[in-house]
Amino acid sequence: MTQITKRNANKFLKDEYDELVKNHFEWNIRILESGSQPHSIVNGKEVIMMCSNNYLNLSNHPRLIKGAIDAAKKYGAGSGSVRAIAGTLQIHTEVEKRLAKFKRTESSLIYQTGFAANSGLIPQLVGEGDIVISDELNHGSIIDGVRLTRADRAIYKHRDMSDLERVLKDADKKYRRILIISDGVFSMDGDIAPMDKIVKLANEFGAMTYADDAHGEGVIGEDGRGIGAHFHIEGKIDVEMGTFSKAFGVVGGLIAGSQDLVNFAYNKSRTWLLSGSHPPAVSGAQLAAIDVLETEPEHVKRLWDNTKYFKKELNSLGFNTGNSETPITPVIVGDSGKAKELSNKLYDEGVFALPIVFPMVARDKARIRTMMNAGLTKKDLDFALDKFEKLGKQLSII
Amino acid sequence: MSVTIGFVVNPIAGMGGRVGLKGTDDVLDKAVKLGAHPIARQKAEEMLREFSKFSSNHAEIVWVTCDGDMGNNELETVGIKNKQIVYSPSGTTTSANDTKNACKKFIESPPDLLVFCGGDGTARDIFTIIDKKIPLLGVPSGVKMHSGVFGITTNATAKMLWEFINKRLTIGDAEIMDVDEELYRKGEWKVRLYGIAKGIVEPTYIQVGKSCFESVSDDEVKDELADHVKDELEKHQDWLFLFGTGGTIDYIAKKLNIEHTLLGIDAVYQKKLLAKDVNEEQILQLLKKYPNVKILLSPIGAQGFILGRGNLQLSPTVINKIGIENIIVVSAPSKLIHTPVLRVDTGDKRLDHRFANQGYLLVIIGYRLSRVVKLQTNSF
Repeated sequence: MTQITKRNANKFLKDEYDELVKNHFEWNIRILESGSQPHSIVNGKEVIMMCSNNYLNLSNHPRLIKGAIDAAKKYGAGSGSVRAIAGTLQIHTEVEKRLAKFKRTESSLIYQTGFAANSGLIPQLVGEGDIVISDELNHGSIIDGVRLTRADRAIYKHRDMSDLERVLKDADKKYRRILIISDGVFSMDGDIAPMDKIVKLANEFGAMTYADDAHGEGVIGEDGRGIGAHFHIEGKIDVEMGTFSKAFGVVGGLIAGSQDLVNFAYNKSRTWLLSGSHPPAVSGAQLAAIDVLETEPEHVKRLWDNTKYFKKELNSLGFNTGNSETPITPVIVGDSGKAKELSNKLYDEGVFALPIVFPMVARDKARIRTMMNAGLTKKDLDFALDKFEKLGKQLSII
Repeated sequence: MSVTIGFVVNPIAGMGGRVGLKGTDDVLDKAVKLGAHPIARQKAEEMLREFSKFSSNHAEIVWVTCDGDMGNNELETVGIKNKQIVYSPSGTTTSANDTKNACKKFIESPPDLLVFCGGDGTARDIFTIIDKKIPLLGVPSGVKMHSGVFGITTNATAKMLWEFINKRLTIGDAEIMDVDEELYRKGEWKVRLYGIAKGIVEPTYIQVGKSCFESVSDDEVKDELADHVKDELEKHQDWLFLFGTGGTIDYIAKKLNIEHTLLGIDAVYQKKLLAKDVNEEQILQLLKKYPNVKILLSPIGAQGFILGRGNLQLSPTVINKIGIENIIVVSAPSKLIHTPVLRVDTGDKRLDHRFANQGYLLVIIGYRLSRVVKLQTNSF
């Protein structure tokens, strides 16, 4: 009889966690004892929230809360199944119709999360003999989606259209399908992909375009309709992917595009086919979020007013805020250790904003990433600016 | 953070440059007569001064060095006290032998890193003794710095040293290049690959969580490149592959169980070695028999050369016959951080011009993963 290896099946769990802790790579999860609000209670301390994605403060909007409650009352707490079998409620399809109208596309499809949209759809759009061309600063969920395919991958320099064109020219002869993927708004720098130019180049080469607009949805474009509206190319981006979890204030991934895309996507995306559908309360809140965006333009306006004020004041204090064009405003500090120190001190002073350090960004570009919220008042912003000034001087950043 | 840094200066390095001698190997007397002044000492001190700006605390950094202008004087001038002298040169004028003898002393109790001031000749002398036993970092202070162990400038070298001490850079392969100075003075390039030393490299990072990254070793990246090349070989069964020179290609070949010549060109057909260490003539013979050929190259040395340095067998005639579209360039992404430009110098202006017109190459940086890299010809 052959000898059986006596393994310790679970030892690696502790070993690997300990290793993370040793290198200070583990997540110290902070607990919010309030909702995600402009003034939140984080680990028992009241702070000004500058690192949530709740840009428009819709997660606290009475109409969204009511939408959730009403839907729960009407349809119950859960949906009972995956969408494909018996889990498609009328309210799910209603969200999709309203969303397509809002996005000015032919059709739309809701996924369980944004990650599920990327990792479910991308591997179906390309396979062996195809190539995915990707901006070098694209989000991790795109990279994971691409990893699930047998397609080749090429990276182009961040927002560099001549670099993209070079890859396209090379790829043109070699591949069956070409898929260009880019974040709409880049989450680390807050800059915007030149999607109009990407679409133009893609059309020249017969390439498909895919924009991950997670940080643009509800933020850029008329009434926050996203990257398509921002460049007035609604319906021209083959796949506009986004999320309800950020500016929309709820949760859930989405794609908007042609009916052909949607038919293809729901029949082929394994994440969509194999996960339970959204609870009715989620759909109710999603529906209300679209309502609010269509009827209450003041939220998007306030977000941008706050952003402009905050950015201008940071700059006049002498902070470097990089190339941001959106409510993501990086405060570039340089050294990673200093960025962490500034973040900790800001928290002690009542401002919650997280550091982004190497290798997420270049070694000399470590930063505090601030994310604006429409619910913050001028008084709140002045309070935050005051702390930035005080600590910036203390740490010799300004 | 206790670290031991070996430090050796070749005091005569770089003396030939200013007086137009293109190197000091074997012609020191002539250089001196032409009025050459030592520059290595000045470069060494520049680097040390820059380094001192990062490191206010010298206590945990121990410098192991040589007497006189071979290191001790430079450290002394900049005010670095925490040092030990392990070698004293025999005469007043130092020579290549002094560098080598110093290295023999370093090996007896190896420091974490050996920092040296000199050019390719110095790098070669050091490598002859040290081999891969101690990682090297060169302060560029010679006439020619083609080897991959050099920092780009003295300031960049100081920064690299500081990053290494703080464990933000790791050890990887770096090529030692050898220029025939006699021919070089006559205006002829003959740069060959002399060997693969250990140098300092930027690690490649992969994202393992939302904001959690792991640094990937040089070997892991090369494993991915090997997987990619394996696919290429399988996809193109009726193609002949010419495997180029250098550590990256050598690693890939070994991974594919192909016996490879580190410093030469090998012909591979259907995943088997067909001909070893072929010269230009032998390659041209092979091209008659195999009409479809791909060349596998990796940038060599500090300046990112893919052709014209260390692989002269791949002559303009060979390249023209194979076609520049059949060149596959592979590189660890970390290498491209410090060498963002690839260079060719084929010796044939028209061929160089064709590369220049193309302007860019798609470089394989991982399994089925590529990126565009700028291509330059004939310029440093």
